[in-house]
Formats: sequence, structure tokens, C-alpha cells
Amino acid sequence: MGLAYPIFQGGMAWVSDAELAAAVSNAGGLGIISAMNLSAEYLRGQIRKCRTLTEKPFGVNIMLMSPFVKDVARVCAEEKPAVVTTGAGLPNAYMKGWLSAGVRVIPVVPSTAMARLVERAGAYAVIAEGGESGGHIGDLSTLTLVPQVKDAVDIPVLAAGGIADGRGVAAAMMLGAAGVQCGTVFLCATECAVHENYKQKVLNAKDIDTIVTGKRLGHAVRSIRNPFTRQYAKMEYEISTTGEELEAMGIGALRKAAVDGNLEEGCFLAGQCSAMVHEIRPAKEIIETMFKEAETLLKGASAWVK
Amino acid sequence: MSTYETIAKLLAESKDMDPGDIRPDMGFAELELDSLDVAELVMNLEDELGVPVEIDESLRTIADLVAKVDNK
Repeated sequence: MGLAYPIFQGGMAWVSDAELAAAVSNAGGLGIISAMNLSAEYLRGQIRKCRTLTEKPFGVNIMLMSPFVKDVARVCAEEKPAVVTTGAGLPNAYMKGWLSAGVRVIPVVPSTAMARLVERAGAYAVIAEGGESGGHIGDLSTLTLVPQVKDAVDIPVLAAGGIADGRGVAAAMMLGAAGVQCGTVFLCATECAVHENYKQKVLNAKDIDTIVTGKRLGHAVRSIRNPFTRQYAKMEYEISTTGEELEAMGIGALRKAAVDGNLEEGCFLAGQCSAMVHEIRPAKEIIETMFKEAETLLKGASAWVK
Repeated sequence: MSTYETIAKLLAESKDMDPGDIRPDMGFAELELDSLDVAELVMNLEDELGVPVEIDESLRTIADLVAKVDNK
């Protein structure tokens, strides 16, 4: 794919904009713009802006539960970013349009069957995302999902979930991954425009500070514990709370976190590796440090099996 | 073995269901199968019968799945 480093920056709603994507692509990874829940014209504007900021390839992430999914899918076929990644569902209905436009499709998958289904439909690669990740997640962990997906498909597999440093990259390679996708670590990139409070939540998070909510609705989401998640978790386990009430509670909570920095009512989506992110650094430094460390570790790896 | 019987057999094997509890008109939700379970079922069915089935909005019940396979 012509990347200097086999690393994708995850498409995070209200976080992954043209500037972050361009910074990651300019640093040698694949930056990804999130189409999130916004209109097709927002996405078109972001893609065109990104083109003014980088000549390197970049991608677009489409959240398949978006109310605008058909329109943003069409914009991707028209604007032809190098890659489309997808999340929260099966993208097969849109894949023909992207493939005929020459766009590489790399879906995020939480299981082997989903990986096989998208491979059959023409996916270029898959991102096997473990439940350590932030945002929408599946049950399997990265350690178990990546090798199983690797065995199930013949296309390249990227590992995601829990990777924040060179140790994670090296481990992912040993599991059979051809590359990695990272979200949380790029939340704290200098070029990330997310609210300063969001970055501080990640920087201050300790190992046990994330929580999974939304399982009852079938949409499990990992975020950093705060008053919002405490209230949500409490309501989720109350029988009297309806599904509609839970859905309503979640609406707008990510925006409150990412745009307003609302520490009480915001939902700060982030992965378990938040506690492994210690400073705000430029994307280039994040990537170069990770891969230098991974290279050193992999060179010495045989010492453990002698 | 009919397509329906094959599906019932696969569900019995992979989800520990009693084939007698499965009826063609049952929706996946009623069978407590989520989207990942349906994806698994469709791929297991492809392995068994060699018939690839697309998962789309029209696929809601066991009967829908039988029809998709038999109409291929």
C-alpha cells in the first residue's frame, strides 16, 4: 500500500478529522477520517481538506449504523480515498461500488465468520479488533481474535485493540498481523483537535479505568469511567429502564466529550491501553517510537525460545 | 437432507439447540442469534453446501435463509 509504517489510525467519531488523518499519513502511517454520524457533504469537505494537507494515501472510516450511510458510501465511491474501513456491521451491500471505484475496502471485524464474509465480497484486508479497544467493541480479545482471523482468511490481517507501544506492535506481528490499527494513542497526538479534557482523561486513566456499557442494547461500547458511565451502567442494570431510555441517554454523549470536554455528561470513548499513553506527542514521534521499539524487540525475540 | 434440516443440524451443533425447538418461521432474534451468530451460521452453511448467501435486510428468519439457499 506504499506506507512507510504498517499502522492505521483508527477512525474515531468526533476525533478523526482531516488534520489528524493528514498528520498520520504524513508521518508514514495511514490516517483515517471518520464519517461518523454526519452528512455526506461533511465527509466530502473533510476528504478534500485532507488532500490539501497531504499527498500521501489516507482512508475514510464508515460507521455502518450512521443514518447517512448510503450517502457517505456514495461519496467514498466518488472521492476515491485510498482506503475505506468500516465498523459496526457488514459492509457488503456497499462494497461493489467502492471496489469498482478502485477503493480498497478494509473492514473492522470482531469474528472469523465476519472476516470470511467480507473476504468473499472482495475486501483487501481485515482489521481484527479485540475488545480492549475503545468505542464499539466485540467480545473477543486481540490475543485470541487475531490468530483465529489469520487462520480463517487468506487476505492480510491488521490487529487492533490494546496496542499503544512497540510491545503491542511486536506482539501483533507474532500473532500473524501484517500491521496494526491504533486509536487511543492517537487521541493524544498533538495534531488531534479533540477537547483538551478528553486528552487529559486518557493521560490520567489507570489500568482499571475503562468500562463497557451498552451490552444490553447489543452495542457494547468501551469508555473511560466518569459520572456519565456510572449513571448509564446503573440504569442499564435496572429492569425498569427501557431500551429507548438507554438509547436516548447515549445520544450526543460522545460529542459532549470530544467537542465540549464535558467531564460530567460526556462519554469518553477510549481503549484499555489509555493507561499506557503518558504524553501528548506529534503523530510522527508516536509512530517512529513504536516501530523502533518493535524492531528492537523482534530482533531479540528468539532469545525466549532457545 | 433438506436445506432446513441442514440449518437445524448446524444450529444444534454450534449453539447447542434442540432441533425440535427450531421452526422455519422463527426469526433470528427469537432464536437469540445476534448478527455475529447469523454470520457464523451463513459461513457454516456455505462450508456444508457450497452455496454462498449474502446477508442483507431481507434475511430475518430461518425460512428466509432456506429460500436464499434454495433459490441459488
